[in-house]
Amino acid sequence: MGESEVWQGTLALMILKTLQSMGPLHGYGIARRIEQISQEQLIIQYGTIYPALLKLEQEGYISADWGESQNNRRARFYKLTRAGRRQLEKECQRWEKAAAVLARFVSTGEEAI
Amino acid sequence: MRKLRAFFLRFWGLSAGKRHDDEFAEELRSHLQMHIDDNIRSGMTLDQARREAILKLGGIEQTVQRQRDQRAFSFFESLGRDLRFAFRNVHKSPGFTAVAVLTLALGIGANTAIFTLLNAILLRPLPVQNPEELLLFGDGYAMGSTQSVPDGNTKLFSYSFFHDFRQKDTSFSGIAAVDSTQFETKASISGGAYQTTHVNLVSGSYFSVLGVPAFLGRTIGESDDSVEGAGTVAVASYSWFQRHFNGDPSAMGKVIRIQSHDYTLVGVAKPGFSGVTVGQSTDLWIPLSMEKAFSRAGWNGLGDKLFQSLYLIGRLRPGVTTAQAGAETNLLFQQIVRSYLGPQPSQKHLDDLARASIQLTPGGRGVSLLRYALSLPLQILMAIVALVLLIACANIANMLLARGVVRRREIAVRMALGASRRRIVFQLLTESTLLAFLGAAAGVALAWKGSSLLLNMAAPGPDPVPLNLTPDLRVLGFTIAVTVLTSLLFGILPAFRSAGLEFTPALKDGRGSSSVSTRGALARSLIVGQVALSVLLLVVASLLLRSLIHLYDVDTGFDKHNVLIFSLDSSTANLPHGPDEIRSVRLQEQIENRVQAIPGVRSDGFAFFAFNDGAWSDQVLFQGVPRTPANGDPVAFNITGNGFFSAMGIPLLEGRIFTSPDTGTAKVAVINQTMARRFFPNSSPIGSRFAVGETPDHPGEIEVIGVVKDSKYYTLDEAPVMEAYFPCTQNPGFFGNFVVRYAPGANQQEISSRIRHAIGEINSNILVNSVTTLEEQVDRSIAKQSLIAQLSAFFGILAVFLACMGIYGLLSYSVARRTSELGIRLALGAQSHALLWLVLRECIFLLILGFAIGIPVALSSTHILKSLLYQLSPLDPTAIAIAIATVACITVAAAWLPARRASKINPMQALRTE
Repeated sequence: MGESEVWQGTLALMILKTLQSMGPLHGYGIARRIEQISQEQLIIQYGTIYPALLKLEQEGYISADWGESQNNRRARFYKLTRAGRRQLEKECQRWEKAAAVLARFVSTGEEAI
Repeated sequence: MRKLRAFFLRFWGLSAGKRHDDEFAEELRSHLQMHIDDNIRSGMTLDQARREAILKLGGIEQTVQRQRDQRAFSFFESLGRDLRFAFRNVHKSPGFTAVAVLTLALGIGANTAIFTLLNAILLRPLPVQNPEELLLFGDGYAMGSTQSVPDGNTKLFSYSFFHDFRQKDTSFSGIAAVDSTQFETKASISGGAYQTTHVNLVSGSYFSVLGVPAFLGRTIGESDDSVEGAGTVAVASYSWFQRHFNGDPSAMGKVIRIQSHDYTLVGVAKPGFSGVTVGQSTDLWIPLSMEKAFSRAGWNGLGDKLFQSLYLIGRLRPGVTTAQAGAETNLLFQQIVRSYLGPQPSQKHLDDLARASIQLTPGGRGVSLLRYALSLPLQILMAIVALVLLIACANIANMLLARGVVRRREIAVRMALGASRRRIVFQLLTESTLLAFLGAAAGVALAWKGSSLLLNMAAPGPDPVPLNLTPDLRVLGFTIAVTVLTSLLFGILPAFRSAGLEFTPALKDGRGSSSVSTRGALARSLIVGQVALSVLLLVVASLLLRSLIHLYDVDTGFDKHNVLIFSLDSSTANLPHGPDEIRSVRLQEQIENRVQAIPGVRSDGFAFFAFNDGAWSDQVLFQGVPRTPANGDPVAFNITGNGFFSAMGIPLLEGRIFTSPDTGTAKVAVINQTMARRFFPNSSPIGSRFAVGETPDHPGEIEVIGVVKDSKYYTLDEAPVMEAYFPCTQNPGFFGNFVVRYAPGANQQEISSRIRHAIGEINSNILVNSVTTLEEQVDRSIAKQSLIAQLSAFFGILAVFLACMGIYGLLSYSVARRTSELGIRLALGAQSHALLWLVLRECIFLLILGFAIGIPVALSSTHILKSLLYQLSPLDPTAIAIAIATVACITVAAAWLPARRASKINPMQALRTE
């Protein structure tokens, strides 16, 4: 995938998933992790992660606090709230369903040709 | 809920912007630092590392801005954008804007103007302490004095009653008394020139009970009002003080001379307070103990226990309810007045008193006869202008609907580019709100001048009614509420319609047909509503106009043409009271004789009253005639000079009028037809004898010497009144009305100035207050009816005009859209008058629907006008027919233009346009 921008809805899902698997993490860490997981296929501008984080924070799915990074840098750490966990579950189900439908759609299309 | 929470946080973010910016800056710094650390670890130089980190972030400034956008709505930003866009749009279509703003200015302006009056006269509380605690004894709809035993709802009270009641009652923490008559007199400050001054006589408790402090010096206190004749002090209103002394405190202690008495100026009341009577403004307050210096000879306001001339206003004690106070007040009232009737009162007096009561009414808004006169007319006018505004809204909504069709393409493009429906509706509403506020601004400017103009029309006179019409918070709130409501009323339907359209067909050609029919239905129902409302308004207008015409056609009994009325003031002439009072009459006779000699003057005479300027009435008893319901009504009296009848043009029917020998003790009177008929249905009254009063002291002391034609006394719409005239010579006093009839065609200005000159020559201390014509006096008496008739006619026509604009617009549009269809019809052989009819038919259909709604509504609501209509049924068929015909004619005329255009279509051209 060559797009440099990620659709906001999926970005939120990726952030929630990252926080679930990694525990509390700062914005830079989250961005790096998303890139790694996508095996560098997904190239995001790190800046876009912050509005998405803020939105999730406003909706109450994540909370943030200042803390120390591994290299002793002060950083703002985000972690999932209980509402965030529930939301992640819901989003994952929805995503799986949509992906399944889309996959079926794409494969029938090939057969027809 | 999550959405809502985010919404509020973002809203809050608007205010907490700075702190958040700082925090985010730090977060970004740490982000970059960590990234740079990692980059260096992977072998980059510091510069490279930094550049790569910023590049990967996507720019620092951009990131900060994106963060800000997410944090706070760009609510205000988008509002600003909408407003700018709205201004551009409004500017782009000046024709539409001009029509809409003008319509709204008229509608909102009229509403504001009428509400300003309504607020000043009906709603605004007095500028006193806790006005809601004040209770007025009676409703205050009376003025002057009465000496009869209370009977029915009592509104005026005697000085004795005020004192006796105050000692016994427990419901009020204090009671203020003020004479119901405001004296217009002349005052001289420190021996300066005499100037017109309005004086109110008040009790010593007046200022303390109302809670009006002194701005300077002191107010009137109990000690000023304890001994008769002792309170030679005056308190000035702030505006009088400013006018005469420019705020100079050394004015305290100055001597003011009024009607041969000197008063010391001891204080100035707080600014803004000008008495308790709305529509009157007091210059000086003087203690009631000085009443004798202001009253006419023989009147004894302080001594006579039944001389009732005061308004009483009480301040309710905390914890006492109005009902409790009312019960106690009426109990005491009965006891106290009963004690005034003497040891052996007549059965009739006891019966009268048994029927008498005091109704306590809210007193916080003061007393006002103006309120009594204008309350209903103002409420009706308020309803009328509200309906006009509604029609205006319908009109603008219709225009916006039409524009919506034109703007379909623009809106469809914006929606395709990602604008949400909500954004589109919001933007369209911003536009209509902008229009409404532009209209309101123009309307308020209109109302500013308009309301004082209206007040002048409603209550005309030489001096404007002193009423504060500066818009206050309530008026401002009203106007803003009306404006917002208006913009929603006319904006919301078109906005939803525009945003709700399916935009793909609109994009394709910009002239899709899908929503046209629904727009048509909506527009048509708006027009039906407009027609219905205009019929209603025109029915009201034509009823009021016809009633006004009836009033103009009334036989007044006198000839109002070529008559001047001089209002004279003798208060500075030092004329004697008491036994020498006949000198006033001699002075009047001198003036009458001198003026009679002026060329062009036909006849002249003094009188107590001319027409519609006060009254004196009582029952009379004829010797040998039993009292019947017909002759038991009060008789209206007048005191006149010998030339009065010919000056007024009141014809003599029988006997004779006063002549110079009528000066002796043998009292005489001239009566009118109605009085003659009621007392002597079958014989001549000449030579019969009567006396004034229910049970006169000197029965039969007055002899009837003549009978004159009935003439109007109080108002033009009064039922026939019994009237008796007495000669000045036998009822001495100086009577301020001097009536002069001049020859038709004579120069009125010249005669007027010669008469002024003659009066000045005879006695330079007799001042001419004003000169009017009898015609003006008659017109002034029906000013209220004429104002409401004229205004309702104006607004009625305006309403029809607006409805016509709507119909014209709708039909023009429909003809334009159907050009090709009409062209085909023509090409296929349709006659042009058939096309004319095709279009007119639509208008007539809407008209009939409008009538079907409007006429029943009108018929069921005009009874509200009953008390304003003179000799006219609220269901007067002529008035209703006129209204229907007017609406029908004007609307069909409006439809005629587009219809003609339809019939003139050139088929070839029409077919090519598609």
